[in-house]
Amino acid sequence: MSLKDDFPILSREVNGHPLIYLDNAATTQKPQVVIDAISQYYSNSNANVHRAVHTLAGEATEGYENCRRWIKSWFNAEKAILTSGTTEAINLVAYGWGRANLQPGDVIVLTEMEHHSDIVPWQILSEERGIEIRYVPVLDDFTLDMDAYAVSLENAKLVCVVHTSNVLGVRNSVDELISLAHKAGAKILIDAAQAVPHDKIDFELFNADFMAFSAHKMCGPTGIGALLVKSDAFEQMQPFMGGGDMIESVTTSGSTYQTNEHKFEAGTPKIAEAVGWSAAFEWMSAIDLPAHHERLLNIAKWTADQLREIGCTVYGRHQSGDAAVVSFLHPTIHSEDFARFLDAKGFAVRTGHHCAQPLLNRLGITGTIRASFYLYNTQDEAEKFISTVRYIVGKFA
Amino acid sequence: MNYPQALQELIDEFAEIKDKMEILEYVYDLSDEVVEFPIAMWNDKTRIMGCQSEAHLEVVVVDGIVELRCGADSKIVQGMMGIITIAINGRKAQDVLQLKPDFAQEMGILNSLSPSRSNGFRNIFDKVMSEVRMKQ
Repeated sequence: MSLKDDFPILSREVNGHPLIYLDNAATTQKPQVVIDAISQYYSNSNANVHRAVHTLAGEATEGYENCRRWIKSWFNAEKAILTSGTTEAINLVAYGWGRANLQPGDVIVLTEMEHHSDIVPWQILSEERGIEIRYVPVLDDFTLDMDAYAVSLENAKLVCVVHTSNVLGVRNSVDELISLAHKAGAKILIDAAQAVPHDKIDFELFNADFMAFSAHKMCGPTGIGALLVKSDAFEQMQPFMGGGDMIESVTTSGSTYQTNEHKFEAGTPKIAEAVGWSAAFEWMSAIDLPAHHERLLNIAKWTADQLREIGCTVYGRHQSGDAAVVSFLHPTIHSEDFARFLDAKGFAVRTGHHCAQPLLNRLGITGTIRASFYLYNTQDEAEKFISTVRYIVGKFA
Repeated sequence: MNYPQALQELIDEFAEIKDKMEILEYVYDLSDEVVEFPIAMWNDKTRIMGCQSEAHLEVVVVDGIVELRCGADSKIVQGMMGIITIAINGRKAQDVLQLKPDFAQEMGILNSLSPSRSNGFRNIFDKVMSEVRMKQ
């Protein structure tokens, strides 16, 4: 029995060919246990959480809070706020922490490698508050310019940096980024959306102040993610969404808020999604993540070498710790055409700017074709992929 | 609906092709059907927003007769433009405006016609129609 058998979608055909799913950096597929958990929740336990005393409400609350326990234990974190995903988690830092702690003239440090979700919230806040944004450049070897980073930290209050690039697969020197930020007196937010699927990060050891990620990139459902927060940063946060569940009491003259994570989870939360995410954690706990990470990186490295041999330009380096992401371009076949041809043969890959336009501008391109590998992908699939790439190039180049 | 003869012939030809790769190859070949729109004339106003590729067009209406000139860096996108060219060039503007985009689905060149940022064909079609409406 292979790992692939746990994922029902992977047995389907696309355009008459067996599906080979290589768009994992966008979202991963879901094992049957996650699908079943969500279905079971709606079939047996659906209710709203926290307030009611009836049995279903108790089961729903337990299901929702069980997910928080999984997150805290998986990442060794004290505070885990459930959000709709990485984007909301970053926005929560911008509005929950940024608005309460940043003043006009304060400095936020970003990098050219960021996903739009770690740029746009800060640009909006910058316009609202008169905050200065500095961008750390990306070097020709696809790494961050650490000298420029050190300089950019002067008077910085917050650093927001991607752990692993969704375009390049490059893992940044996060330990150094965190330690330098703290030495400069700045807090640091890590966008770990592409990191957590491959790396079981210990948040306490990691020592970042905030870490944002999504469930759906690690076999969990869409629509749910989390923000991990260090206790001192948590105390500095103010809610930016008001509503039910986040309050202690409400009168016509004002409201008081809960003091735990619920303070930042206004409204009916993502209950079914939380139940599904717990099932994903449980499924992943039986997986040897480091071994798979190494296996997938080797597949990515092999794929990248083959693509170079075919005449493609590959963006990324595939060194130890990097994610199994292969971004490439062919010199004469347009990336969108290439992806359509691949789709016709059953391969799912991504094209476009991958929501990282500043990075692509830096690289002097407008988009790439991106093949990204995950737990269920195999060397055999990579070989089929390369053979199809050769066929397309032979026919259309 | 009743399509112009040239378009109906094209729809029938596509209907006979079952393999997705062959459909794409055919669309690819239809990129030669466009009336050239030189890159030097491409600008923000001629750009088709929402296409992942760089795609531009202009519509000229002379004596009520439509001519579409266009081009794209993606051959498949330019092929879709070739299909629209076959559907509308040399026809009266008021007849062109009766055309609905559904034929693209009948041809099997699209999974969906819903307007979205990734739906190049729908964006091309909508821009062509809006230009015809403006210039008729």
